[in-house]
Amino acid sequence: MNHRTMNNLAMNNLAMNRLACKSLDLSIAGVSIVRGFNFTLEPGSFWGLLGANGSGKTTLLKCLAGLRAPDVGAVLLDGISIDQLPRRVLARHIGMLQQHTAYVFDSSVLQTALTGRHPHLGYWQREGQEDIAKAIAALNAADLSGLTERSVTGLSGGEARRVAFATLLVQEPRIMLLDEPTNHLDLRHQVSIMGMIRALSVQAQGAAIAALHDVNLAARYCSHVLMLYGNGEWTAGSIGELLNESSLERLYGCAVRKLESPDGPCFYPLTH
Amino acid sequence: MMPTALKRWLILSLLLASVLAVLLASATGSVSMTLDQWAQALLHPGADQGDLLWRLRLPRALSAWTVGALLSLSGCLMQVLLRNPLADPYILGVSGGAAFASLLGMTAGVASAFTPLLALSGSLVSILLVFGLARGEGPWSTTRLLLTGVVTASGWAALISLVLSLGNDSSLRGMLFWLMGDLGYATTPSWALLVLALVFLICLGLARSLNVLAMGETTARLLGEPTQRLLWLIYLLASVLTASAVSIAGNIGFVGLIVPHLTRLMLGSDHRMLLPAATLFGGIFLVISDTLARTVIAPEQLPVGVITALLGVPLFLLLLNRAKLKQ
Repeated sequence: MNHRTMNNLAMNNLAMNRLACKSLDLSIAGVSIVRGFNFTLEPGSFWGLLGANGSGKTTLLKCLAGLRAPDVGAVLLDGISIDQLPRRVLARHIGMLQQHTAYVFDSSVLQTALTGRHPHLGYWQREGQEDIAKAIAALNAADLSGLTERSVTGLSGGEARRVAFATLLVQEPRIMLLDEPTNHLDLRHQVSIMGMIRALSVQAQGAAIAALHDVNLAARYCSHVLMLYGNGEWTAGSIGELLNESSLERLYGCAVRKLESPDGPCFYPLTH
Repeated sequence: MMPTALKRWLILSLLLASVLAVLLASATGSVSMTLDQWAQALLHPGADQGDLLWRLRLPRALSAWTVGALLSLSGCLMQVLLRNPLADPYILGVSGGAAFASLLGMTAGVASAFTPLLALSGSLVSILLVFGLARGEGPWSTTRLLLTGVVTASGWAALISLVLSLGNDSSLRGMLFWLMGDLGYATTPSWALLVLALVFLICLGLARSLNVLAMGETTARLLGEPTQRLLWLIYLLASVLTASAVSIAGNIGFVGLIVPHLTRLMLGSDHRMLLPAATLFGGIFLVISDTLARTVIAPEQLPVGVITALLGVPLFLLLLNRAKLKQ
């Protein structure tokens, strides 16, 4: 085992994987997103982040990633305010899948996935066999094994999305922030990716929070939900407590009915 | 795109081709030289044609290579900086400042030996001007840099037109040559080679960061790159490269746009491969262009910028079309 792997193991054992917000106020363009927000992303949990369009899901995720400062309060990684940590260190612990993926320059799918190793490598260091193996494994997991040498500029929307997800897997963050991870994906890839996120968070003691518009995906894969109402109010709790007709009606401002299925409850909106 | 092993061979062959191109360029010119005379002159600088070879042709060929390499590397950086494959080394006005200062010198009758120095100071003024104006408060903004640069470039263009229209007819031809790019005054570019080597090494160290930055500033930050510092560094490095090139040869168009682009089409955008390949390719391209500029209507010389455009435009369109067909 080389020096680097030992270091990585040591870092992981330090258990730097609890992301918390302490009495956070966050707003965008004068509109409040959350007020007095106390929240901990515990290891072993997968949160669904629900809210109407423009309720601030993306802005909150960006704040958790340290891309945007809150108005009041701080985001803490194991007790340390994230604005005190270098981006390189943050990137080894927190990874984010952005809502949009646009590749401008020609680069192969494999080369793009390998950029996930960036925070783990030194200034002059090249990716080793181990890094390449990780990238290939992630591309296989994202069902891209046949496309590794294709250019990312020529991919379909769903394929590009899976390349971005594979890059996140290669980055190996303990904490994953995902902005609509199932965007552009067909049904099979939706459940496949949600299953992987659940495996990495709930089963492997990582942590994840995903902004979602599909309530049923949240019901099936998430352990908790965080609801944003778009006026600074928010509620957080387990799926069992929070996902019901009345809470969803309040959240989306539209009538919702629940159906029981052998695979769990399903929610659907009523037409006017 | 080709496999990695092949790319390594390509870089090696480009290195070899660079040496060959410079040597071949030194064998051609308006004074004809037999192969034997050329070899004699090359090995014995004191021989008949030794002066011609060692004091005129080799320095000029080496200058052409250096300028091509500088512009091409600068183009690669500008494209990542502005996240636009169409960006070129002159887009942010570096060359405008240089051109204005040089032309002003020519009008005032300053000896042509001082032209490089004037060009260098003009471009440094422009770099600092754009840097200062674009920086302002708050975080980096590509749009702000681009707008500041483009508007500054327009300002220089107006001043250049002013100098041209006020200048006397006798110096007009020299000015126009300079504006179109001309290697006629080039001497052995030792300091520019040093700048090239230094910046190239720094860039090679930054290559993986450039790969990440090419995917967007936010993506780069999420992958652990402190982008504010990196973006300003790239701006300064690219500007210094352009300023060095402009001070030797004036405004040679197309090299810094087309060569990085062609190299990206062939090799993809891993900057660890792209930067060396594009740098070498840029050098070779300009050596060939300058040799043509010296020989097609010899003993008359054409401005090399005309040749780079005449060669580059069809070549580029051809390759672009073929790349599209493959997809």
